Amino acid sequence: MGIWGVGWRVCGRSGATGDRPAAIIGPLLEKFLQTLMDGTAVGSLYALIALGYTMVYGILKFINFAHSDVFVMGAWVSYSAARAAGWTQDGTAVDIPPWLFWMMGSILAAGALATLTGHLLQKVRVKGIGTLAVMIGAWGLSVLGLVLVCRALKGSGQELLAGGVVLLIAMLSCGAMGFCIERMAYKPLRGSPRLNVLITAIGVSLFLQNLGQLPWMYGTSPQRMPSILPDRVLFEIAGTVGERGEDGSVIWWQTDPVRVRLLDVIAGGTAVVLMICLDRLVYGSKIGRAMRAVSFNPQTASLMGIPVDRVISFTFVLGAMLAAAAGFLYGQKYPGLLQPASATWVLLGLKAFVAAVVGGIGNVRGAMLGGLLIGLIEFFGAAYLSSDLRDVYVFALLIVVLLLRPSGILGRATVEKV
Amino acid sequence: MAISTADGPTASKGWLSRWVPVVLIIAAAVIAHTVLRQYMGAFVSKIVLDVGINVVLAVSLTLVNGFTGQFSIGHAAFMAVGGYTAASITYYVSMVVFGGPEPVAGALSTMISGRENVPLFAKGDAIFAGSLVVGGLAAAGCGFLVGLPSLRLKGDYLAIVTLGFGEIFRVLIQQTADVAYYVEDVKDAPLVGVMQVFSSPRAEWEAPIWARLGGPVGFTGIPTYNSLFWTLLVTGLTLLVAYRLKRSTHGRAMLSIREDEVASESMGVNTTRYKVRAFVIAAFFAGVAGALFAHTTGVTLKANELAFAKSFDIIIMVVLGGLGSISGASLAAVILTMLPELLRKPEQLVAMWPWAAGVVVVGVVCTLLAKNKIGGGAVARAGGLGMGLGGAALVLAGLGAIAMRAGLDLSQYRMVLYALALILMMILRPSGIMGVRELWERAFWRGGR
Amino acid sequence: MAAKVRDDAGGPALEVRGVSKSFGGLKAVQDFSLTLSRGDLKGLIGPNGAGKTTVFNLLTGVYRPDAGKIVLGGQEIGGIRPCFIAARGMARTFQNIRLFGELPVVDNVKLACHVRAEHSIAGAVLRSGLHRREEAAIHEQAMSLLGVFQLRDRAHEQAKNLPYGEQRKLEIARALATRPKVLLLDEPAAGMNSGEKVALRDLIRRVRDMFDVTILLIEHDMGLVMEICERITVLDYGCIIAEGTPEEIQGNPKVIEAYLGGAEEITGA
Repeated sequence: MGIWGVGWRVCGRSGATGDRPAAIIGPLLEKFLQTLMDGTAVGSLYALIALGYTMVYGILKFINFAHSDVFVMGAWVSYSAARAAGWTQDGTAVDIPPWLFWMMGSILAAGALATLTGHLLQKVRVKGIGTLAVMIGAWGLSVLGLVLVCRALKGSGQELLAGGVVLLIAMLSCGAMGFCIERMAYKPLRGSPRLNVLITAIGVSLFLQNLGQLPWMYGTSPQRMPSILPDRVLFEIAGTVGERGEDGSVIWWQTDPVRVRLLDVIAGGTAVVLMICLDRLVYGSKIGRAMRAVSFNPQTASLMGIPVDRVISFTFVLGAMLAAAAGFLYGQKYPGLLQPASATWVLLGLKAFVAAVVGGIGNVRGAMLGGLLIGLIEFFGAAYLSSDLRDVYVFALLIVVLLLRPSGILGRATVEKV
Repeated sequence: MAISTADGPTASKGWLSRWVPVVLIIAAAVIAHTVLRQYMGAFVSKIVLDVGINVVLAVSLTLVNGFTGQFSIGHAAFMAVGGYTAASITYYVSMVVFGGPEPVAGALSTMISGRENVPLFAKGDAIFAGSLVVGGLAAAGCGFLVGLPSLRLKGDYLAIVTLGFGEIFRVLIQQTADVAYYVEDVKDAPLVGVMQVFSSPRAEWEAPIWARLGGPVGFTGIPTYNSLFWTLLVTGLTLLVAYRLKRSTHGRAMLSIREDEVASESMGVNTTRYKVRAFVIAAFFAGVAGALFAHTTGVTLKANELAFAKSFDIIIMVVLGGLGSISGASLAAVILTMLPELLRKPEQLVAMWPWAAGVVVVGVVCTLLAKNKIGGGAVARAGGLGMGLGGAALVLAGLGAIAMRAGLDLSQYRMVLYALALILMMILRPSGIMGVRELWERAFWRGGR
Repeated sequence: MAAKVRDDAGGPALEVRGVSKSFGGLKAVQDFSLTLSRGDLKGLIGPNGAGKTTVFNLLTGVYRPDAGKIVLGGQEIGGIRPCFIAARGMARTFQNIRLFGELPVVDNVKLACHVRAEHSIAGAVLRSGLHRREEAAIHEQAMSLLGVFQLRDRAHEQAKNLPYGEQRKLEIARALATRPKVLLLDEPAAGMNSGEKVALRDLIRRVRDMFDVTILLIEHDMGLVMEICERITVLDYGCIIAEGTPEEIQGNPKVIEAYLGGAEEITGA
């Protein structure tokens, strides 16, 4: 029995009596609802990643190819954090090597010392390096501390709260990663041709992928993400299906019920909450206004006294944190974590980019819309046409959108100045 | 309006300049295959094949990314199209004509040495040569298709669309049915039919013959026709075509698009036409390279291995070599193809250091001479090149030494090193090793960046 | 040099009638008309943002006019692509220099000869006879053009390494290499010192006589415009506010008003 056409199923099995196929019966609500739920859940994750793409594009006008790898790192960091906090097979936490504490502590101390000397001797450079070291040290210690907090929370049975701390760790780590990527790779290229920045972004992406799969990082074998968030079936929606018999009477069948899972609700809810926060931040706060100003025109923004470099860094950190959250949630929904350089990951990130483009790149609300759209198209195509071609639907949509409306659904067209 | 055509002194030597390079390329390929191969051994020969194929890929991508400045990141897809087309031709035609997929190869089309009394060319070689051309043409057709969006899209957008096309090609190839193993199957299979993309269990016996490409398993049993002769021949011809193109008014038109599209259009260059042309020509050569690759011993043609990771490999070569430089891309292709083999054997890397140090010393001396106004631009350029390449080699030798001490497997770090090289190159010398210049150009040696 | 191939139809070299263009709500150019007879040297002036460069972009096809007619040498060219307009005999320079910076100086000029090359890509790859003859001719033409502009010994340098004044000259040389009937110069004197401006003035005149072209010139330097242009058109807010000889323009109160402010009166008028 094959499935042909969209949304309609030809029932090859006849009722109790006839041997000929029965009449066509209506759209199967059960499958539709299930697909809708999956599509929305994954679509909201796409939207989270797409936000990072779209914010960076809005400000710096280039595709941050490394963004999808930050997302992957988000998933893997939460894996490490979860194991360190005690989500292992036998329940014992993976040890944190003590030298990590010492290292971070000494970096912090050395940084503080350097800052102080720099301040006293009025050497700006020394002070700057010192501040950086203080930041690194403080970041490291707070992450390590959070791991301990998480361990304690898990020990006392507060699993949901501990899961939140894991999410926080992933977001902090990836935020730092985003900061470093921007400062080290992209900042030196400010003002150079866009092609060069694009190539650098590809370089950073390849670097993260292949660094991540070195044996002393996460290796090349897939791992199973421990399930941190609680999961159970919240409620079921049972479906009934009518089938017209030969005599014209309708026979009703009970189909498999649609299960609404807690995990999906939490994942979708977290994504929505984060997106609302971001929307408020971009459209309703001072830093958000600065971000929009820089995206409109960096030169003018800097003349108006906006610290452009800091705003750009902030944008990267914000995008990376959202990507990390998406990575964490994705790992919860699909616990088989693939190696960091796996093509599947890269494609996932690219689909999120497609979402940003479809929604109108540079437009925060467009990214959310595009993410949902891509998720739905992918899942409906996979459910009703062929699951082998799910990437094809997304990229075909991208090509169509770019050719018909290059600025995306919510984007506005730009005119090149001659 | 035509350009006034003056019969200058160059007109008489036209025949010579037209064909001598071609003859030389053929002669070099034959000599390499028959004479040099005996000294190379199987391992080195295999590397030379890889180098040749990668040079063709890098040079062809140079036409798009380097000349016209469009950024394609789906180049491996053209390779896949060419490879699969050519493989299905040689495989299935051999099945029908010879009753089996084994190569019926002449002495120039086999890497197995010591076969006596074989003619230089056999029947199978004609099929192979034809499949190279048809594979290239099929890829060129796809190149036309992919090139069309370049008329409306620029930069990042175009990049992502080429990648999207590449992925679509890949997924479609993976939907194909298994390869037909028996002659009867081949003869019974329908020639016309629809590739059954939307039915979940692929029905082999219903699939048309051109859609039986092995799917996710890969195309197995392709006759191994590729040899030093064919690879070097194709490499030489590709270089010749790219060189002649660059030196012609058409090459200048392409380069001008990359420099400034608006100005180029205003000076009468039909930019849309040249962009599509660049895509088509580049796709053709990538298709031929894919066809060569498919017929190489020890290769299973798999769509997964020709996905965007492979495209990125080619991009790295083109970018590091210098966007727009044929010799730069070739140089980078040679180095980057041999590097993994070296990384696998750190002792060889370490053994490289005296040479690297020597090159660096020469480079430093040249630079010092040039600084003191002795020798001019060529010396300065040689100095810069020597210090750069020699320095990179020294760094590698050092890494090799560390790896030997620590027992590290450096080949795992290959992509990390490439990625770092890419980032550093963009920050320190964004134009790549050669920029848009060529080794044989006087302007390159005259100095100045 | 090649024999002159020109259609010697008696009509004007360039005739523009009622061309308009707006971007969104902004009316950049409104009802612009202009007639250039063969051999004219006309100026197009106006305050910043008056729409002068937009006019050039409309004439050369970079923008598509919303309304109006543009006739070049008897052929309607409104709405066709820039490369075809260039092939029909209109060339321009750019306000912000747009040379092919990475390419050698000579290749910048050679590229502009591309319009007239007739050999195919296959011909280039196979080194056909036509290819070689055309390439030889292109080289010769490019070098002699560079000779006219005293750039011959710079021929093999990268264009981006030329000093500013020579880049401007190279732009004119490049535009001339397309063999235009009409040459549009967009602020050729911008950024030049007074000595260079004097040389430029002579150069523009010499170009007009030597290459037998009709020139339309945008320039902010009033001294230069008044000195070399035979007639001048003044644009303000996308509309023509005056047209006439330099003397007439200098005495025109509307022009003075447009340049010296008095925004209220102008919007009121």
